[in-house]
Amino acid sequence: MRPETLSEILNSFSGDHPALSLSSELISARRLLDEADDLYQRSFVSQSSRIALCALAPKALVSALVAFDGKVEAMLLLPASLDEATIDQLVIAAGCTHAMNADGVRALPNCHFVCGSSDHVSTQWLLATSGTTGTPKLIAHRLSTLTSSVKRDRARGRGFVWGLLYDPSRFAGLQVILQALFSGAQLVVSQPNKFEVQLDAFVRHRINALSATPSLWRKMLMDGRIKNCPLQQITLGGEIADQQILDALRRCFPAARVVHIYASTEAGIAFAVDDCQAGFSVAWLQGEDSPIPLRIRDDGHLLIRPSKLPGGSEIVRRLDADGYLDTEDLVRVEGDRVLFLGRASGAINVGGNKVMPEAVEQHIRCVGGVLDVRVFGKKSSIMGQLVAAEVVAGPEVDVVALRAEILSHCRSHLEKWQIPGLISFVDQLQENMAGKRVRLI
Amino acid sequence: MTMKDKVIEVISQIADESGWKIIGDLNDATVLLESGLDSLGFAILVARLEEELQYDPFAMMDEPVYPRTLGEFVSIYERFAP
Repeated sequence: MRPETLSEILNSFSGDHPALSLSSELISARRLLDEADDLYQRSFVSQSSRIALCALAPKALVSALVAFDGKVEAMLLLPASLDEATIDQLVIAAGCTHAMNADGVRALPNCHFVCGSSDHVSTQWLLATSGTTGTPKLIAHRLSTLTSSVKRDRARGRGFVWGLLYDPSRFAGLQVILQALFSGAQLVVSQPNKFEVQLDAFVRHRINALSATPSLWRKMLMDGRIKNCPLQQITLGGEIADQQILDALRRCFPAARVVHIYASTEAGIAFAVDDCQAGFSVAWLQGEDSPIPLRIRDDGHLLIRPSKLPGGSEIVRRLDADGYLDTEDLVRVEGDRVLFLGRASGAINVGGNKVMPEAVEQHIRCVGGVLDVRVFGKKSSIMGQLVAAEVVAGPEVDVVALRAEILSHCRSHLEKWQIPGLISFVDQLQENMAGKRVRLI
Repeated sequence: MTMKDKVIEVISQIADESGWKIIGDLNDATVLLESGLDSLGFAILVARLEEELQYDPFAMMDEPVYPRTLGEFVSIYERFAP
C-alpha cells in the first residue's frame, strides 16, 4: 500500500478548515496547501533530493513539510538551537542536496538535478537526537512511524486548539504539529518562538490542549498566564514526570485529562500514562492492559517492544534477540508502580536538555587548582535535575576564588544548563564498588 | 536574618556567580521570572536554599503551588520551616 503523505491528509479536509493560527491570522488548509505547492514549484527538487530544513519558524516548517513529504527522498529537520558546525556536519552526514532557511531553498554543491516523475515516494524524516556528546545522531523516521500514536478522530479533534511550545523541528514539537494536523484540531504557533510571545498567543487563542516538559509546566504555573486557558488536554514528556507536578496540574485544571508520555526521538512514542500517578503500573510488566510489551532487565534497564521502529544502526545496536529495544533508562519497582530513575549513561536531564557529566568534568579539570572532579545529576523539584559538581582542590588553594574561576571557565565553554548550579569542595571523591563514579543522586 | 533576607542573599550570590543581572529592588511584589532569574536560576535558588536550610518545600507539598512573586516564595519557605 502506498504510504499517505501530509498533503493528502490536509487535502482530505474542507478547504476552509482552519489549520493554523499565527498571531491574529487564521490559515486555512487550502491556503497551507497552496503555499506548500508554490514552495515546491519554486524549489526545483526531485524525488532523489535530500533537503535540509534549517531552523525554520513553525509556519515555514509546516509549509515545507507539506510541500516536500512524498516528493523528495529525505528531509533533515534541524532545530534552531544547533550551532553552525553541527549543522554542517549533519547536512553532510545526511547527504543533503538542498537546504532551506528563512530566505528560501538553495541547491548545495553536490546537487545533481534528476528529472523525476511526480509519483509519490516515501520520504525519510531525519531527526537529530538531542545529543549528549559530540554530534547528534540522525534517526530516520517516516510519516508513518511519527504518527503511529497520533489520534485521528476528527469529530473529537475539531474541538481542540493545540498550542505549540516546543521547537517544531524536534520530535516532541513534531508530535504536536502532526497531532493537530491529523485530527483536524487548530494549531496555535508563534513567531518568534519565544516563551513570552507563546504564552500571550495561548491566552489570546484560548488553547485547550498543550504538551510540554514537566519543567516548562512548572514555569508556566509560576508565570500564571496559562491558568487563563481552558485546558482539557495536558501532556507531559521529555523528562520524568513527578507526582508533585501531576498533582499541581490536576488541581489547577480539574477538567483536563493529564497524560505523561514516554517517548524518545529514537523509539518514537512508546506509551502514555493517564492515571495521574508517576511512573506506570507494575501490571503492565505482566502484559495486563499493557500498551506495548515491556520488560525490566536485570541491571534495571527498561526494555520496550514498540510495533513500529525507525531505522538506523543506532536502533539495531540497542535491540536484543527478542526484538526488545534497550531504552537505556533505569527504572525501579516501588509498590504497584514502576518509577523512572534517570539515564543509565548518567546523562543528566536539566529541564529536557541532556548533559553528559564526563564532558563537564573535562572542562572543570582544565581549571588550575582543580585536582579532581565528579559531576552528577542532583534531583530538582523545579527542573527535574540540576548539574552538581564535587571538586577536590589542590593544597592551599583559595576555594572561593577557585569556585569563581570554575564558573567563569564553564560560562565561556558550556551552555548555561550544563554549568554546575551546585559546587562543593571535598577531600576525596566517592566511587562505587566497580571503581566507577556514582552519578545518580 | 529573616527568611526574606536569606532568599535575597542567595539570589544575589547566584547572580554574581552566574553573571546574571538582577533587577535592583527585590520586594514582595517582584515577579520571580521577571527578576532576572530564569527558570534554571530559580531551580538553582531552590537547590541552594535546600543546602542551607535542609528542606525543599516544593518536594514536601501535598498540594503543590508554584509561586509567582518573591513574597509568595518567601511565605512558602516560612510555612514549611521545620
